[in-house]
Amino acid sequence: MADRETAKFSASSSSSAEEEAGGTLSNESSSLFQCCVCLDLLYKPIVLACGHSSCFWCVHKAMHQWRESHCAICRRPYKHFPSICQLLHLLLLKLEPADYKRREMEVLEEEKNAGVYSPQFVDSDVGKLHTVNDNGTSTANIKDRRPEDFEHLENIIKRKVSVDDVMCSLCERMLYQPAVLNCGHVYCQSCLSDLSGEPLQCHVCQSLHPGDFPNVCLNLGHFLEEVFPREYAMRREEVQLKKAQRPTANPSPNSVQAQKATEKIGLRDMYFCLSEDMSDVHVGVGCDSCGVYPIIGKRYKCKDCTEAIGFDLCEACYNTSSKLPGRFNQQHTPDHKFELDDSQLLRNILMRSALQLDISEQGHQLVSVPEDDDPHDYENHDDEGNGYEEK
Amino acid sequence: MFDVSRVQKELTECNRDKAISGVSIALYEGGSDLSHLRGTITGPVSTPYEGGTFLIDIQLPSGYPFEPPKMQFITKVWHPNISSQNGAICLDILKDQWSPALTLKTALVSLQALLSAPEPDDPQDAVVAKQYLQEYPTFVATARYWTEAFARTSVAIEEKVRRLVEMGFPEDLVKSTLDSVNGDENLALEKLCSS
Repeated sequence: MADRETAKFSASSSSSAEEEAGGTLSNESSSLFQCCVCLDLLYKPIVLACGHSSCFWCVHKAMHQWRESHCAICRRPYKHFPSICQLLHLLLLKLEPADYKRREMEVLEEEKNAGVYSPQFVDSDVGKLHTVNDNGTSTANIKDRRPEDFEHLENIIKRKVSVDDVMCSLCERMLYQPAVLNCGHVYCQSCLSDLSGEPLQCHVCQSLHPGDFPNVCLNLGHFLEEVFPREYAMRREEVQLKKAQRPTANPSPNSVQAQKATEKIGLRDMYFCLSEDMSDVHVGVGCDSCGVYPIIGKRYKCKDCTEAIGFDLCEACYNTSSKLPGRFNQQHTPDHKFELDDSQLLRNILMRSALQLDISEQGHQLVSVPEDDDPHDYENHDDEGNGYEEK
Repeated sequence: MFDVSRVQKELTECNRDKAISGVSIALYEGGSDLSHLRGTITGPVSTPYEGGTFLIDIQLPSGYPFEPPKMQFITKVWHPNISSQNGAICLDILKDQWSPALTLKTALVSLQALLSAPEPDDPQDAVVAKQYLQEYPTFVATARYWTEAFARTSVAIEEKVRRLVEMGFPEDLVKSTLDSVNGDENLALEKLCSS
């Protein structure tokens, strides 16, 4: 591994410093952050409660339009479209700047063609990132070093990323067993289990975490263990010590326990979903605040948002007057007005199709919604180039 | 349109270790259409399919990888979950159990596994399934015979066609000539040269 790196660096010593800094790391590092759906570098990563991650669009396109969705890797069911994990986003931008920029260009091109956009992060985020990047080690610094200095992959990565980039905002230490909430914020799993209250609430953005207690985000966890082995071992000891000191306190669930508990919930949810009256489902419409997809029950549609994708809230989020921005870069502001909308209600779609069907078998013969029993059916998405709702 | 760059990556990835996995993918009939592919799997050892090479027609829908690829055996095969008439496959991951994290390679490997472990209780071909359950030795003999008859020669003939085409004869003529001499390459060559 070290040889390959040195070879790469010495070979590219004549190229510009920028290119060098942006050069891809070893295969090991990039395969750690490969999206299992597009088989490319994760771009605007989303971490599901099961701990698996994919790109923003790879998750969204794989979601089911009128039923709960399943993780592409472990098939764990989920109902909410999580927000992008910004910590992982910034980490990847630092680790693989050239590849990440390439992905940005490619995705932006696709989004332009489709007319729907993923959240665009403001320049200040990127600016912040660059300054952090500069005070660590400058690219010139790397260039000046002799090839012999590049002994370990860890060292190379450490020049790009520091512990400050991977902090838990609850314990303010380096993340240990990182778990990602629906809002995209990352905490140590042990810190989350110390939080009181059901459901979990994000310490940073105050949004509630719907669904299962999050599992450890696998690729981020492995990355930390590989790049910061000493720090990670120290954190492990700390967490275990803390646990031992407070045996009566809320025991932090180890991932196996957590998984068992959540599996049970997942199954219960599934039965619930199956037996549920599906006529309240708004096909292909998601809530822009909590991310529930599809919305079941009342759907509030913004009257003032002009984007083709629209801006919608579920009843719960409408009542709490959420201030969160849209999931698809809509220019929604709090003074916009809402109206109840039932145009995408399954029963209205059924009625429009003039099909008098028993609700229990609706999916099989729906005209406007293709093939039932296919959890990954996305014809509507692709045809209209618009994932979130059909027009 | 499906994800072209993903499909290209899949092809490279799959063909990299085809000698070990026994699974490979190529463009269909050497065409240039990435949505129409042809998979090849080798019959698993210690099964009636051992020694056979099976060709699979693969069509990618526009929603791929969010929709499953459409796969069908080109090579005739005697198996409870594969139609002996048209090669249609009964396999859950090619239907409702598809996940975008699966790939063409994993699907082909699953087909290989299906050859090793038939599921006669969820049959595609009722006749074969009935035979599998009631007269297992006959099933094994038939499956082995079909492997000998179709899964060997289809490849051998393809190979012969390729060699003769490389000599400069038109493909259609090569095929019809080979047919007329029951696949004897030397006789076919003689015939082609004299015609």
